[in-house]
Amino acid sequence: VTVPFFALVALLLVLAAAAPAFFDPANLRDLLLAAAPVIVAAVGMTLVVLTRQIDISIGSQLAVCAVIAGVLAKSGLPVALAGLGAVAAGALIGSVNGLLVARLGLPSIVVTLAMMVGLRETLRWITEGIWVRELPSDFQWMGLGQDAGRFVIPALALGVWAASSWIMRYTSGGRAVYATGSDAEAARLAGMRPKQVVFWVFVAMGALTGLAALLSAIQFIDVQTNSGVGFELRVIAAVVVGGTSIAGGRGSLTGSLLGVILLSTLGPALVFLGSQAYWDRALQGLIILAAVTVDALRAVASEGRGPGLRRR
Amino acid sequence: MSALTVERALALCLAIEIAIFALLGSNFVTLQNAGEIIRASAETGLLALALTPIILTGGIDLSVGSLLALCAVVFGMTWADAGWPIPLAAGAAIAAGLAGGALNALLVARLQVPPLIVTLGTFSLFRGIAEGATAGVRNYSNFPDAFLFLGQGAVGFIPSQFVILLAAAVAIWLLVHRMTVGRTLSAIGFSIDGARHAGLPVARRLSLVYVLSGLAAAVAALLYVARLGQAKADAGTGFELTAITAVVLGGTSIFGGRGSVRGTLLGLATLAVLQNGLRLSDLPAELAGVVTAVLLVAALGASRAFERDT
Repeated sequence: VTVPFFALVALLLVLAAAAPAFFDPANLRDLLLAAAPVIVAAVGMTLVVLTRQIDISIGSQLAVCAVIAGVLAKSGLPVALAGLGAVAAGALIGSVNGLLVARLGLPSIVVTLAMMVGLRETLRWITEGIWVRELPSDFQWMGLGQDAGRFVIPALALGVWAASSWIMRYTSGGRAVYATGSDAEAARLAGMRPKQVVFWVFVAMGALTGLAALLSAIQFIDVQTNSGVGFELRVIAAVVVGGTSIAGGRGSLTGSLLGVILLSTLGPALVFLGSQAYWDRALQGLIILAAVTVDALRAVASEGRGPGLRRR
Repeated sequence: MSALTVERALALCLAIEIAIFALLGSNFVTLQNAGEIIRASAETGLLALALTPIILTGGIDLSVGSLLALCAVVFGMTWADAGWPIPLAAGAAIAAGLAGGALNALLVARLQVPPLIVTLGTFSLFRGIAEGATAGVRNYSNFPDAFLFLGQGAVGFIPSQFVILLAAAVAIWLLVHRMTVGRTLSAIGFSIDGARHAGLPVARRLSLVYVLSGLAAAVAALLYVARLGQAKADAGTGFELTAITAVVLGGTSIFGGRGSVRGTLLGLATLAVLQNGLRLSDLPAELAGVVTAVLLVAALGASRAFERDT
């Protein structure tokens, strides 16, 4: 957690010195608004990575869930029910991933790769790339006023994060996620059910992606059918920068929140510092590499060797 | 044993595919079209071939599509902006590919950071540099015809890429299946600690495969630029996923240890024929993704079932 924390502090100090306009409340609010869906998805991804799995299908899931929310809202359902539909659709997709990974023991990276391609192409086939337009007026900002909506979306995201942090720390279910990731066999012998844990983690990932889809879709007038391309990598990057170990069992939601905030501050910060936003992605890559390198050097210093290749 | 069974099943799939498209498609079973299929899959083919030894070690390289873009931009910049002759610009692109591969190698082999994370970072870094250097929009084009022949030309019905793809396939096949290096790669994939204790040069072999992947990305970049006639920062987006799909479809275990170059080529052919055949049969192109997804899970499930039997 130290690397993203110090990087964020350093970035904010530079901004305070060079571009104090960055700290305009309206700007900070817009930043948080854009980051809200990523925060929600990063909560789910942290759980997935903690159990030593990965889910690269969430970008496609995001697009599917957003379209489902849009279509449901258009058919006359109240926006709350449309949102529930998106969350349920995400949970359903997540349960398919979970079944294939936990029950059949297939590698999650390939299962979710197949899910990613399959969902994306099916969506394009069915919608023919046409956006969902002419949404009912209560869809945007959930029918709240713009100011209220702008407050509710980040509040919801942070609420999900806070509740999940509490669950991960203080409930047996949360501890079982850590135990499964550290050593699935030991967790089983201790009376937990690692396969169940992995299954439900994927379901949670899907449901949270559904919520993220809703939070992002209601910020715009239309629902795009091609949203979420590359979303999975942004989220995984934030989780990794936040210090969650890809080898499982080690990490925290606080770190992931810091990771999301750091990576989503970077692009706007570059603009405020008068630099080109084009370098945003290169800097994001550098930060990921810096975070893992520091981690690896520390591991080498303390144990005489690094974490080794990712193994199942 | 099980790998061979997967290959047979895949060969059967490919045969069924070809039979279906021969019935449905217009001009599908022609030498001309065979050439087109090879042309369209040359770049992802190179990437998939280079990924095979990496996945054999239990690693992964997500950065190849981004590195392809960086090499393409380096090529375009040195030729158009700096005025270098084509061979020199191509050399610069290949140097960029080797350097990118070396960065992955350094972090994976020396610092022992998990390859998924390293290449996720360089996935952003390489494309980010390409975007930054071109301000996201610059597009290099108007390359000389002699260079474009590399991507668009053909001798008879054999496209010029075929020679490069064939050479790469033979080279990787020799490396993986006919040299001690290949045995070492499998040993690393089965157990990296076991390989270390057996005194195998683990770090050197890992470095080799990641640098090779960088080289493949650079050559693929040249083929890409020559085929489309333009070099831009969004080149090769998503190529890494197609390449990984081809390798895994071909029966190479994502956990490392088991795999074959022949399987990768079969996987590649299955994907390429599918895309080409759907287009010539007037079927929706999106079916390719859906069928690929089903095949991928089926291939995994099958190899899993064989594992339990033996």
